[in-house]
Amino acid sequence: MPSVCFYFQVHQPFRLKHYPFFNIGKDHKYFDDEKNATIMRKVARKCYLPTNRAMLRLIDRFEGKFRISYAVTGVAIEQMRDYSPEVLDSFVALAKTGCVEFVGETYYHSLSGVYDEPEFRDQVSKHGKLMKKYFNQSPTVFRNTELIYNDRVGEIVASLGYKGMIAEGADDILGWRSPNFVYESSTPGFKLLLKNYRLSDDIAFRFSNRAWPEFPLTAPKFANWVHRISGNGETLNLFMDYETFGEHQWESTGIFEFLDHLPAEIMKHSDWDFRTPSEVLERHQPVAPISFGRTVSWADVDRDLTAWQGNHMQKSALAQIYEIGKEVRSRNNPAALDLWRKLQTSDHFYYMCTKWMADGDVHAYFSPYGSPYEAFINFMNVLTDFRQSVLNLRARKEATA
Amino acid sequence: MRVLMLGWEYPPHISGGLGTACEGLTRALARQGVEIDFIVPHLFGKEDAPHMRLIDPSVLAKEVGVAGPGPVANFPRQGTSESSEQTAIRFIERLVAKTVSPGSPEAEKAASPTEAVTEEADGRIRFLRVPSFLSPYLGVPPDTVIRKRDNLFRRHPARQRFAPDGTPLAPTPEDVFVQQLETVEERLPPLIRAMLPETLDEGPAADHYSDLFGEVGRFTARVMALAQDRNYDVIHAHDWMTFPAAIALKALTGLPLILHVHSLEYDRSGHGANWQIEQIEKEGIAAADTVIAVSYYTRSSISQRHGTSLDKIEVVHNGVYSKDTVDSYRRERDWPSKIVLFLGRVTFQKGPDYFVEAAARVVPHVPDVLFVMAGSGDMLPRMMDRVNELGIGKNFLFTGFLKGPEVEKMFSMADCYVMPSVSEPFGLTALEAISFNAPVIISRQSGVSEVLSHALKVNFWDVDQLANLIVSVLQYPELAQDISIMAGEEVRRLRWDAAASKSIEVYGKTLARFS
Repeated sequence: MPSVCFYFQVHQPFRLKHYPFFNIGKDHKYFDDEKNATIMRKVARKCYLPTNRAMLRLIDRFEGKFRISYAVTGVAIEQMRDYSPEVLDSFVALAKTGCVEFVGETYYHSLSGVYDEPEFRDQVSKHGKLMKKYFNQSPTVFRNTELIYNDRVGEIVASLGYKGMIAEGADDILGWRSPNFVYESSTPGFKLLLKNYRLSDDIAFRFSNRAWPEFPLTAPKFANWVHRISGNGETLNLFMDYETFGEHQWESTGIFEFLDHLPAEIMKHSDWDFRTPSEVLERHQPVAPISFGRTVSWADVDRDLTAWQGNHMQKSALAQIYEIGKEVRSRNNPAALDLWRKLQTSDHFYYMCTKWMADGDVHAYFSPYGSPYEAFINFMNVLTDFRQSVLNLRARKEATA
Repeated sequence: MRVLMLGWEYPPHISGGLGTACEGLTRALARQGVEIDFIVPHLFGKEDAPHMRLIDPSVLAKEVGVAGPGPVANFPRQGTSESSEQTAIRFIERLVAKTVSPGSPEAEKAASPTEAVTEEADGRIRFLRVPSFLSPYLGVPPDTVIRKRDNLFRRHPARQRFAPDGTPLAPTPEDVFVQQLETVEERLPPLIRAMLPETLDEGPAADHYSDLFGEVGRFTARVMALAQDRNYDVIHAHDWMTFPAAIALKALTGLPLILHVHSLEYDRSGHGANWQIEQIEKEGIAAADTVIAVSYYTRSSISQRHGTSLDKIEVVHNGVYSKDTVDSYRRERDWPSKIVLFLGRVTFQKGPDYFVEAAARVVPHVPDVLFVMAGSGDMLPRMMDRVNELGIGKNFLFTGFLKGPEVEKMFSMADCYVMPSVSEPFGLTALEAISFNAPVIISRQSGVSEVLSHALKVNFWDVDQLANLIVSVLQYPELAQDISIMAGEEVRRLRWDAAASKSIEVYGKTLARFS
C-alpha cells in the first residue's frame, strides 16, 4: 500500500542588523530584533497560522488518516516564542493530534554537519530536547539543514540513535532508480527517504507559474499524477518549505484550496494513504542500498553545497566561524556559545551566494541585503567583533587573497 | 542604413567618456552593417576608425587657408564627381573671399602652401592642420557672453546673376544651396542663430573657455555647409555641443533626428548649470524625433529638466570596448600600501568631497592606506584645503590630470576604485576600473549602477557607509577577490553590440514613426 509522505521545513534565521566596520569593539548586539519580529509576524499571518489551521482541519476531517511531518528549527521556535507565541501554540496543538511527526534537525539550521562534527552532535541533541519540551516527541527520523547529506553525515546521525534520514532524490545519485522507495544508506540498517523533487516542486515552485504548461494545478490533476505511481513505488516523498503555503505561493494563487482538496483526492484511490516518515520506515523494508558519492542538498539545480560555499567569501567566512569552535565551547559561557551558534545559521552564508548573479538568473530569493557582498561585509564585521570583544582573541592574521 | 552622426570628440583625443562611447558604439554599429559618416569638429590624425567615414568639417575652411595652428586631422577624399563637400568647399571659398581682404596678412598666410598637409600612402586620406580642440566638460565661466553676430548667410546672399547681355541666369546649384541655408537659418531658434559665426575663418580664441559657444557655432555652420547630401536615413547627434548643428541639419534635410544624451548640463554642474547650455539642450530635445539616454537615470532627469515625455526617450546603456581590457596592465599592485582611487573630474558632479570625507573616516582604522585623487577641476583647491584641515595629508595624494597610459597604470595600481558621483548619467570609468580588476564602489545615483550587479553601491551622501565599504574592501581580501572576478565576467557581457542593436531598433522605430 503506497503512501504520501509530507514533510515541511519550518525555519527563520536570526537576521543580523546593519553592522558597519566602525561598530567593531563598541557594539555587541548583532541581531535586528525589529526586523526579525516583523518578518516572523508577517510569515505567521500569511503562512504559519492559516496553514496550521488548515492542517488541523484536515486531520480532524479525515479522523487521523491525514498525517504530516515537520522539521522546525530551534531558531524558528525561539522567534515564535518571542514574537508570535500563537504560532508555537498552534504547532503544539498539531503535535497533540498524534498525526504529526516532528523530525530531528540541527537546532541552529547550521552547516556543522559538514564542518564540525562535535558541534553537529551538540546541536542535534539540543534540538531533540526542544522537540521533547514543546511537542513531547523524541525524533527518530532526521533531516539535516537544507537536506544536506553525504555518507559520513548519515553515519554520524545513525550513531546518534536515529533510524533514518530524509535526503534529496538527486538524479545523479539515483541514476535509473526511483525515489519512491525506502533505501538503505551506506551505514547498515540506517534508512533513507528520498525527495521526489519533480512532484514536490510542482507544488512548491510551479504551482502559480502561468508559463508552466500544466498551469493551473488542481488537486484532482495532482492526485492523478500521484496515482500513476501505484504499483511502481511505496512512498511518495513530498518535501518542501512550509512557507510554500501563503508566503511563496500567495493565498490568491489558490494554494490553500489546493491543500484543502488534495487529501480527499489522493485517498479516492483506495490503495493510497498518508504516512509520516517514521511510519514509512517502519512499514517498508529498503529495496536496495544507496551510497552518496558526493554531498547533496536540495538547493538550486546544482543540488550541492555551492549555494553556501561556492565563492571565496563564503569559504572564508565558514572557515573563520568554525575555526573558533573549540575555543568557544571550552569557555563555558552559554551566552557566547549561543551567539556563535546563531552566527552559524546557514542563511548567513546563503546570502553571500554570487552564483545566481553570474547566471543572470532572476533568482528572487529573500535576502535582507542589497548584495552578497554587503552580506559578507556585515557578517565579517560581526564575526570580527565576536572574536575580539566576546572572546578577546587577538586579531586574526589576515587571510591571503 | 546610413547614419549621419555628429560627435564632439573621438579617441585618442578625448576629455571624458563621450569620445570613448562614440568609438564603442560606432564600431559595433558598423559590425552590424550600419554605414556611418561621423563628423567631429577636429581630428588629430591619430584616430583609428576604419569602420566609418570620419569627417572634420573645419578642414574645409583650412582648404582655403584660414585655419589657425593646431594638430593634424584626416579628411577622406571622395571620387571625382562633384560631391556636396566640394560644393561646400566652394561655398566657403566664396564666403572667405569676401571676408579676407586681398593683401592682408591672413590672405598671405592663406595663399602660402601649408607644410602641414600630408597625404597617406593610398591617397585616400589627407591630413591637415586644424584648430585645436575645446573640451565641453571643463566648465564654462559664468561671464561668458554669446557675441551677437551678423547672420552668416544673410551677409553673403546668393545674388541673382546676369548674363553679359543683361538676361537673368538660372541659379547654379551653389546658389540654390545657399538659398536653402538662408531659409534654414531663419528657422533656427534665435539662441542658436546667434551662435553662428560671421565667417568660417575664425580660429579658436586665445582663451578657450570664452569661445566654446563660438566653437559650437562654427561647428554648426561648417556642418550645415558640409551635409547637403540627403542620402542618409537618420541623423544621430551626441550631446549638446552638436545639438545646434543637428537642429540645423534637420531643418535643412528633413531627416529624422535622434539625439543621444550622454550627460545633461545639470548632471555636470548642478545648480551652477549654464542656462545657455540648458537652453540648447531644451531646443535640441524639442526638435528631436527620438532622444536616447544612456541610463534610466538620465532618462528621468531629461524628462524632469526639460518636461520631455518619457515615450520619446529610449534607454541605450553603454557597453565596454574590449580594447579596455588590456591584460598587460592587469594586477600591477606594486605599491607597498593599499590604494583607494578617485579618478575623474574634480567637480561637483563627481562627488570628490564625499571621497575626502570618507577617507578621513577610514584612515584611523587602516593607517597605511593611500587615497589618490586623480583629475583636475574647479573643486580641486577646496579638496586640497579640506585634506589639510582633516589632517590626512600623509594618506592623500593629488595627481592632477592623467593622460592615457598614466590612467591605465593608475587603475592597475588601485586596490579599490570609488565613484561617489552626485549625479552620473553613466560612469564608464567604473567599467574601466573593473577591466583592471579593481573592485569598485559606485554611487546608487549613477547610470552604471543600473547595469552592474557586482559592485558595492552606496548613496553618495552616506559617507559612513562609503567608509565602511572602503575599509571592508581593504580588510577582507576574499571580498575584493570575488567582486573583481564576478564584475570582470559581468563587464565582458556588457558589450557594445547590445548597445548597437538597441540603437538600430531606435532608428527603426523612429523611421516608422516618421514615414
